[in-house]
Amino acid sequence: MTTNVPPLQPTVGDVDTLLSLPEERVVRRGQRLSRRRLYTRRFLRNWGAVAGLVILALLVGFAIVGPMMTPYTYTDVDFTNLTAAPSSQHWFGTNGTGADTFAQTTHGLQRSMIIGVVVSLLTTLISAFVGATAAYLGGTAEKAILGIVHFLLVVPSFLILALISQKAGGDWKVLILVLTAVGWMYGARVVWSLSTSLREREYILAARFMGVGSLRIVLRHLIPNIGSLLIVSFTLGVVATVQAETGLSFIGFGVKQPDVSLGTLLADGASTITSAPWLFYFPAAMLTLLTVSMALIGDGLRDALDPTSHSAGIVRRAGRA
Amino acid sequence: MLRYLLRRSCGWLLMIVVATNLTYFLANFFLDPRANYLQLRPPRTPGQISRSLAEYNLSRDTPLLDRWWHWISGIVVHWNWGYSPVGESVNSQISFRIGVSAQLVLGSLILSTLIGISLAVYTAARQYRFADRFYQGVSIITLNIPVVVASLAVVLLAIAFNQSVGNTLLFVAGAQSPTVTGFWPLLLDRVRHLILPTISLTVISYAGYHLLQRSLLLDNINSDFVRLARAKGLTRQSAIRRHGLRTSLIPVVTSVAFAIPALFTGAVITETIFAWQGMGQYFVQTIGKNDIHGAVAVAAFGALMTAIGAILADIAVVALDPRVRVS
Repeated sequence: MTTNVPPLQPTVGDVDTLLSLPEERVVRRGQRLSRRRLYTRRFLRNWGAVAGLVILALLVGFAIVGPMMTPYTYTDVDFTNLTAAPSSQHWFGTNGTGADTFAQTTHGLQRSMIIGVVVSLLTTLISAFVGATAAYLGGTAEKAILGIVHFLLVVPSFLILALISQKAGGDWKVLILVLTAVGWMYGARVVWSLSTSLREREYILAARFMGVGSLRIVLRHLIPNIGSLLIVSFTLGVVATVQAETGLSFIGFGVKQPDVSLGTLLADGASTITSAPWLFYFPAAMLTLLTVSMALIGDGLRDALDPTSHSAGIVRRAGRA
Repeated sequence: MLRYLLRRSCGWLLMIVVATNLTYFLANFFLDPRANYLQLRPPRTPGQISRSLAEYNLSRDTPLLDRWWHWISGIVVHWNWGYSPVGESVNSQISFRIGVSAQLVLGSLILSTLIGISLAVYTAARQYRFADRFYQGVSIITLNIPVVVASLAVVLLAIAFNQSVGNTLLFVAGAQSPTVTGFWPLLLDRVRHLILPTISLTVISYAGYHLLQRSLLLDNINSDFVRLARAKGLTRQSAIRRHGLRTSLIPVVTSVAFAIPALFTGAVITETIFAWQGMGQYFVQTIGKNDIHGAVAVAAFGALMTAIGAILADIAVVALDPRVRVS
């Protein structure tokens, strides 16, 4: 059994050290592994996560470089090629109005990615701030904030989403705002429940008795200590947002013509799935690769950052070999 | 227990009432039923439109609070949820669609729970072996396949299957064929319509239960009480099933209970693709057609399902964990 004890790692279990000053970090580097190198090593050991990272990098590259590789833009129509199958001229074929599917797919991928990343970033930041503030302030303020959060959780968010984005006429910037507005509550609840156990910790109390202001304690001491959770919930939030956005766009409440996202492309493809399946295949492949790769990265990050994670099984195996 | 449930139900009832009324005002703010009359030929004057809408308690000329009072007293006194801008009764729509949605939801809910939990037991007993890694990989992929893609892929596969058999064995659209009569032919027809949407809903939802149950099982598979069960002579499989599983089932059952509301109103995309006239599809339709009363009724139904899910979760926890005492 003694062989199973992991080699002297820096105190992984101690969340306090996550908040390390630069000079401390230099000292720690002298020890066996720096924190960042430890996380990188654990992340890279997970082949699924690495595969996800590679796929995501390729997708991002494709979304950026893709539009430059074709002479068509996503709004161009080619009247000589209506519903044409993939060819050397139109790599992914064209749709019923003659728009180039390759140009549309790259643009749609860009759109879905931007919406996913921005919304997830915003919801993570808002939920971290609201949840941590509620936990730190305590008392009446905590009760009031939690009451608002719980109430907003009960309100049918999908209805609000559909109503407002219907009104906004498919502008993707409005969609970002709406998705953010209805998406931060659950995260705030989770952050709050984690922060309630942190607020009694010595370093928080020390900071408070030293006269550090509430806002500063929340931003500098509470939130950094749940940083690993926030990173993971950001990646998984991207998956959820992309799914929500494409779903909304698919039923006609999200991004609308003339703009395209992967959801509207799938809606196009769904109606011609037997006659022109390429309109479905390419957006579907991009969307699935995007969500699955982000999910794999999220899982890998969780395993790498979480000291109690079950990925230790892999460590044990490596040790035995 | 009963008193506890009663108290919880009252709390939820209050929540439902508040959420429904809030939705009523929201819907009135965002949806304008007058738009439905603008396309009509010959064109109507605003006065005519307002008169037609006034018949269904939707006219903007009546103050909002008056309309609200009329609407809420209709529900409380007659259980009448109002009319759409063209005069269809919301009650009849909802009562018909609940049945359609239930067919879709219950089948996939039962299937995905069973598949998820049994896969979890199977893989947890083989942690880090090939079977575990394989099914975990499959589950991570299916969990993250977007609903649209999964449903359309199922449609494509079914079309290919029908073509290879040379006969339309599986129907891609609708809940039933209009011409079939007789009990057994009707049942068979229903099943043939039900298979594809059930498969596509199951594929995307089983993986969540699998991964959650697996990690929970692994947490207590090596605990003392499972070892004791082994020492008493149970096989490893049955020790895991009867002792390890029972204690780790609670969070999964809770999440299954909470999946019910999400499925009832959230199967929008599946219902759209397979052309089922369910609640989710009704929801999209009401918003698209500015049907304020319909949208509010769907939201109220969703809130009711959430409450039922939460109460079911409470009951399940008490039933599964003998240590839990409610007072």
